Amino acid sequence: MTSLLASETAAVSFPVLTAMVLTPFLGALLLLVLPNNRPEYFKQVAFLVSALTAAMTAWVMVEFDKAHAATFQFVDQYEWIETLGISWALGLDGISLWLVVLTGALFPIVILAIDAEHSPKPYYAWILVLEAGCMGVFLALDLFAFFVFFEIVLVPMYFLIGQWGHGERAYAATKFFIYTMMGSALMLVGIISTAVITANTTGNDLTFGLIELAESQALGQTAARWIFLSFALAFAVKVPIFPLHTWLPDAHTNAPTAGSVILAGVMLKLGTYGFLRFGIYLFPEAAVYFAPFLVALGTIGILYGAIAATMQRDLKRLVAYSSVAHLGFIVIGTFALNTEGIEGGLLQMVNHGVSTGALFLLVGMIYERRHTREISKLGGLQKPAPMLAGVFMVVMLSSIGLPGLNGFVGEFLTLIGAFAAHRWWAVVAASGVIIAALYLLWAYQRVFHGPAEGDNATMPDLTVREGLTMVPFLVAIVFMGVYPKPVLERMEPAVDALVAHVETHVEDFDEPVADIAHHVELEDLADLGTDTHGEEDGEHG
Amino acid sequence: MELTTTWYLVLSASMFSIGATGLLVRRNPLVMFMCVELMLNAVNISFVAFGSDLNDVGGQIAVFFVLVVAAVEVVVGLALVVAITRRRADATADDLSVLRG
Amino acid sequence: MLAALAAEVGDFVRPPIDWHAAAPELTLLAFGVLLTLMDIVWLERGRKWAPALASIGLLATMVPIITLAVDGADRSMFGGAFVVDKYALIMKAVFILAGYIVVLISSNYISEGDYWENEYYGLLLSSILGMILMASARDLITIFIALELLSIPAYMLATWRKRDLKSNEAGLKYYLMGVFASAILLYGMSLLYGASGTTLLVDLNESISASDSPSAIVVMGIIFVIVGFAFKVSAVPFHTWAPDTYEGAPTPVTAFLSVASKAAGFVALMNMLFVGFIGRDDVYEPMIFALAAVSMTVGNLIALRQTNIVRMLAYSGVAQAGYMLAPLAVASDVPDSALAATVSYLVIYAVMNLGAFAVVIAVARKTRSAEIDDYRGLFHYAPGLTVAMTIFLFALAGIPPLGGWWAKFRIMGAVIEANTVSGVVLGVFVAVNSVIALYYYARIGAKMWADEAPDGDLTPVRVPASLKSALVLTVAATIVFGVLPGLVGDVTKVSLLAGVGG
Repeated sequence: MTSLLASETAAVSFPVLTAMVLTPFLGALLLLVLPNNRPEYFKQVAFLVSALTAAMTAWVMVEFDKAHAATFQFVDQYEWIETLGISWALGLDGISLWLVVLTGALFPIVILAIDAEHSPKPYYAWILVLEAGCMGVFLALDLFAFFVFFEIVLVPMYFLIGQWGHGERAYAATKFFIYTMMGSALMLVGIISTAVITANTTGNDLTFGLIELAESQALGQTAARWIFLSFALAFAVKVPIFPLHTWLPDAHTNAPTAGSVILAGVMLKLGTYGFLRFGIYLFPEAAVYFAPFLVALGTIGILYGAIAATMQRDLKRLVAYSSVAHLGFIVIGTFALNTEGIEGGLLQMVNHGVSTGALFLLVGMIYERRHTREISKLGGLQKPAPMLAGVFMVVMLSSIGLPGLNGFVGEFLTLIGAFAAHRWWAVVAASGVIIAALYLLWAYQRVFHGPAEGDNATMPDLTVREGLTMVPFLVAIVFMGVYPKPVLERMEPAVDALVAHVETHVEDFDEPVADIAHHVELEDLADLGTDTHGEEDGEHG
Repeated sequence: MELTTTWYLVLSASMFSIGATGLLVRRNPLVMFMCVELMLNAVNISFVAFGSDLNDVGGQIAVFFVLVVAAVEVVVGLALVVAITRRRADATADDLSVLRG
Repeated sequence: MLAALAAEVGDFVRPPIDWHAAAPELTLLAFGVLLTLMDIVWLERGRKWAPALASIGLLATMVPIITLAVDGADRSMFGGAFVVDKYALIMKAVFILAGYIVVLISSNYISEGDYWENEYYGLLLSSILGMILMASARDLITIFIALELLSIPAYMLATWRKRDLKSNEAGLKYYLMGVFASAILLYGMSLLYGASGTTLLVDLNESISASDSPSAIVVMGIIFVIVGFAFKVSAVPFHTWAPDTYEGAPTPVTAFLSVASKAAGFVALMNMLFVGFIGRDDVYEPMIFALAAVSMTVGNLIALRQTNIVRMLAYSGVAQAGYMLAPLAVASDVPDSALAATVSYLVIYAVMNLGAFAVVIAVARKTRSAEIDDYRGLFHYAPGLTVAMTIFLFALAGIPPLGGWWAKFRIMGAVIEANTVSGVVLGVFVAVNSVIALYYYARIGAKMWADEAPDGDLTPVRVPASLKSALVLTVAATIVFGVLPGLVGDVTKVSLLAGVGG
């Protein structure tokens, strides 16, 4: 409770976080009551609603007090179901800030960039519900509310894939739904057990509040480990961590472009964010205990995703498998359990959202023009569409982790962190960076180089609207690559606090410190973007 | 040999078992109704035996209710059989296979 | 004996009757009699008034239930055999409202079916009378009478389409299984009476829980009673009648059976467990545990294979019975939470399942079929029904923020709160099963939304007004219970007040 009270100074009278969750949801309801005879309004209304949400997000970002980034700010707390200690509690700290900003920024772009192929009304309504759900997951400070949001996001995605998808859409939608439900079903057992055992041990009233539960640390070691596993399963499916990833390529391939962008950009982060906010915070001992295991799985995911991506013939599937690899980096960074690793993982979540989201948008644009995603049927697109090729190149290089672009900073920090904690796994993981360069450059070469024949030769370039939608991505990619300091300095206090929380509550655990971290202070990170030797430093310590 | 309450209970138990077995084994609805009656009357014997053993009037009261209900049940059951035989003259429970089951 | 009886009869003094407490039953009885009289006097001319009179009767019965709730005092009659407490009132309200929705969804179905209508409503009302009596019954004989009062009309309702072999068969199977279950139940009751010398549940509990270990006769009695009710609530392995009966019976009757009749079985079971057997948890808890775990697993696995939506709902109902049994397996550890959880589930299950059946009835008006394949492309010609069905199916699957989610949360909360190994195991069972269940619910969703309509037939479904209002009521309730679970949460904060003496 103390931390909640401490943040009250930063709280404002207007419940902005609640508004950020409810605005898209109410927007969806508004869409449903709009008359059917003016279909062009649907997109405009949806865009305005998401832009309004984005504006609130921007305001929160500006007002965010970076000196107190470790405490929850803008906290909204209302009783929801009093008898069971369930409340509607939302809050924002340095860990969730950038994911919320990412969510707020990505949705208007997606709505603007892509037209519904058919039935626009439910399409935009589902996207707005999805936005509300994602916001809710990132902001929830109550386990019950968190679980509700965590489940809600499945429903709109199920319909987006099932109704507006391509190919085996019904199969892909059902598989996605069942897989992610399978993971989270046991988490519900875990959530209730945490609340009940804590209430029994401390003698306090039953509560589902995250902070109270995490600060009391009332679970026994065995119970905490089992419950951590139930959480970990839910998050691991969502991330997805190898070997639970099989739903992802199917969902991505068959989803409509907007679905893929949101899935890659925001929804995959729900799992990695869940590990940080709930897994490690609630069960520090269990997290330390299982960390080597998760790092190993993350590393396997990096290699597996990279190798599988190399073998794909479908451009979208290739990007989907590259996601599996990228999320492997986030997992090893997170479970390095030191400041660098977690920060790197967090930054990488945002980076991946930006660059993979952009890649899916670009693949969608190619598909719209050529009605195929088969790499072998594409070729020489550089000549008819130089703009598209150029943007694709920049985004792809960011995804590879080219120094100077955003992906590099995140991957670098992740590997430093992982190296300090699990040296050999980090070395193996680093090779994933090289394979990523290989398959993405190879794909680029096959799609954009060479002679353009048939339809490829006449493919139109980016339209103005498409070009404009890519601008925010490019700006983010370059900005975060060259000057990541504003992003990192808002994360750092929260990440430090989390690591300190783990150190306090786990005996014999000291933050694995990388030697290099003594040399590279965060102030220097601003220059990291231009330091081309940084990556090798990461590998060799 | 004196007939103690136990004897009545054994009688009741065996009647009940015979009725239950019959209901599960036989396929003619009429025979099945008779088996139900057997089971219900086994219950009655058991109630009365316990009632007299405990010197409590409750057991006999229960029997009145059971008797009435049993009569009602059989009336409804026979009505069902009549409805079916109107459609098919030679109804046995085995012939009832319109529904998968 | 007879002399003793005569002596008692001679001294007979009418027990004091609390007319207010008995008012719901008496009101409903009066309307049931009125319906029958109208049928006898007016014959065909009464036909169009029957559903209206039945609805008025049900709503009029709500009045004393509400006044009793406002009054708030716990009342007890006949030495504690008939108790009106908060729990009883909630369940009475559930039965009445479920009955009202059944009348709404039946009226067109029955009037278009070319069968005698008035009797239908008369039977429906007597069955509901049995149910609301059951909610107050705290005595072996009262429970038995209530059970028969609700079951016997239900046998006839299941056979309603009397010139249809399927309906006949459904009724006969239901009847044979039902009387078999009653006989088993009664035998168990007679053993318990013999062991304790009383039919009153409170005294029964006192008597059978006095010793450390139960006598063989008590164990047998408890097992027989639970088996008898397991038939009623269609728990595995006593569920075999349910799919056949559900498929063959007229669909509104199926809705009634799967909701009200099942709820009545649960009410009886809860009365027995929480008042009569609570001290003998060593006997009934393992049994309920097994019934719950097996029911949900087997019900869900068989439901996966169904091609007929009514049979699928029947098996899903078996699984849902398993969920509802789960808290009863920890009844002695956390009595209040367990009771509140099962009651919450019953309330919400009634709403969402009735809604699902209302959609089935509406769709069958066009397709004349309940095959799942005939739901393909439903979205293209009946978007409203598709949305409603999706809400009900997702609610049944327990997806937030719909009512079913809250119900499942309460169940999980209760079993885990018990803090026993068996409780956590049941929690895991519920969790795993809700995923299995999601598969067949989501499959129907995918068929309705993503597929094309068979033969490209896009003529819309005409939904009559009464059916439409039933749908609106159930959709609204399903959503409200999910978003503001505090409502149902506060209402179902109940405990069985076993101790109130007469």
